[in-house]
Amino acid sequence: MAVTAAGMRLLPAGLLVLAISTAAWAEPVTYVLDPQHSFVHFEVLHFGTSTLRGRFGQIDGYVELDRAAPGGWVSLRVPTAAVDTGMPAFDARLRQSDLLDSEAHPVASFVASRFSFDGPKVSALSGELTLRGVRQTLELRALRFGCHTHPQLQREVCGGDFEGELDRAAFGASFGMPFVANRVRLRVQVEGIRR
Amino acid sequence: MKNLLAATTLGLALAAPAYSANYVIDPTHTFVTYEVGHFGTSTNRGRFDKKEGTVQFDRAARTGKVEVTFDLKSVSTGVEMLNKHLQSADFFDSAKFPEAKFVGDKFVFNGDKVSEVAGMLTLRGKALPVTLKATNFNCYMNPMLKREVCGGDFETTLKRSQWGVNYGLEVGVPDDVRLLIQVEAVKQ
Repeated sequence: MAVTAAGMRLLPAGLLVLAISTAAWAEPVTYVLDPQHSFVHFEVLHFGTSTLRGRFGQIDGYVELDRAAPGGWVSLRVPTAAVDTGMPAFDARLRQSDLLDSEAHPVASFVASRFSFDGPKVSALSGELTLRGVRQTLELRALRFGCHTHPQLQREVCGGDFEGELDRAAFGASFGMPFVANRVRLRVQVEGIRR
Repeated sequence: MKNLLAATTLGLALAAPAYSANYVIDPTHTFVTYEVGHFGTSTNRGRFDKKEGTVQFDRAARTGKVEVTFDLKSVSTGVEMLNKHLQSADFFDSAKFPEAKFVGDKFVFNGDKVSEVAGMLTLRGKALPVTLKATNFNCYMNPMLKREVCGGDFETTLKRSQWGVNYGLEVGVPDDVRLLIQVEAVKQ
């Protein structure tokens, strides 16, 4: 009888652990991108001398993470006309047809379903970037990835910093080469709020 | 003969930057971007859009002096509410201290390239030493301006609390701020 009593005390504890594990890990969790902490920054070398920088935002999108599988899915949209370099004249030049071609292609999109994990953390992802209507594979490496509880919303927020490179000529955005380099480095800040 | 002439011209062109010269900061290719960690998750960035400055630079003597002033009200983060908050006494206190200034007069060279510039950064009325490390440095003849342009990329990490910017330290907003500096200056 004593053994049974001890077993009964163990049982609820075991169920509780199972219930927590199930809620936390078994289903894909959706995160909606937080526009205040999600930006795509780009860097490109100018005359082999200094680095031009610009920012795209606001970004709309969401991320699904299934840490049990593990796997993930991300879809985001970047309005190209909202490019911001700090120089309105340069922004206007970037929107022209030989660079971003914002009138014909107002949105760049990135969809990725190939996620790599290092334990519970996303370490890299590979997907398809569509820019100026041209679709190319883009790989992003995570420099950091983490989760925290949003102090006001009291919800889980996950995100990180991701980096990747692309050749702009491959998308047909070749104006100004070779004075302005073909190679563009992307530095992506992203945070998603759990839905 | 033609080759000799070309070689001489090239030689002259290469030799020209050896003399001390004055340069004016090109505001379209000079920006300071800061990076601060956000809850150990991602990196917040901001950029200062209005600036002016001058550089004296002597590659033969390996000396130089740079003075750049940034309008703190021109900070651009992509989030209007944050731009406004940064102006308050929590951060820049720009009503009292509208500008940040860097005066660098200790140039370190690696060959004929600048590798480091040390000087004083004034923020909120307080001047403290800062050393900027070059990750790129180069001079080139700009085909549009038809003038020599020198510049590069510099970076440093500073502790904002040293200038009295303490907002959020107690709740874990990092003290470390990384500065990424693009600079190009046109020979006068």
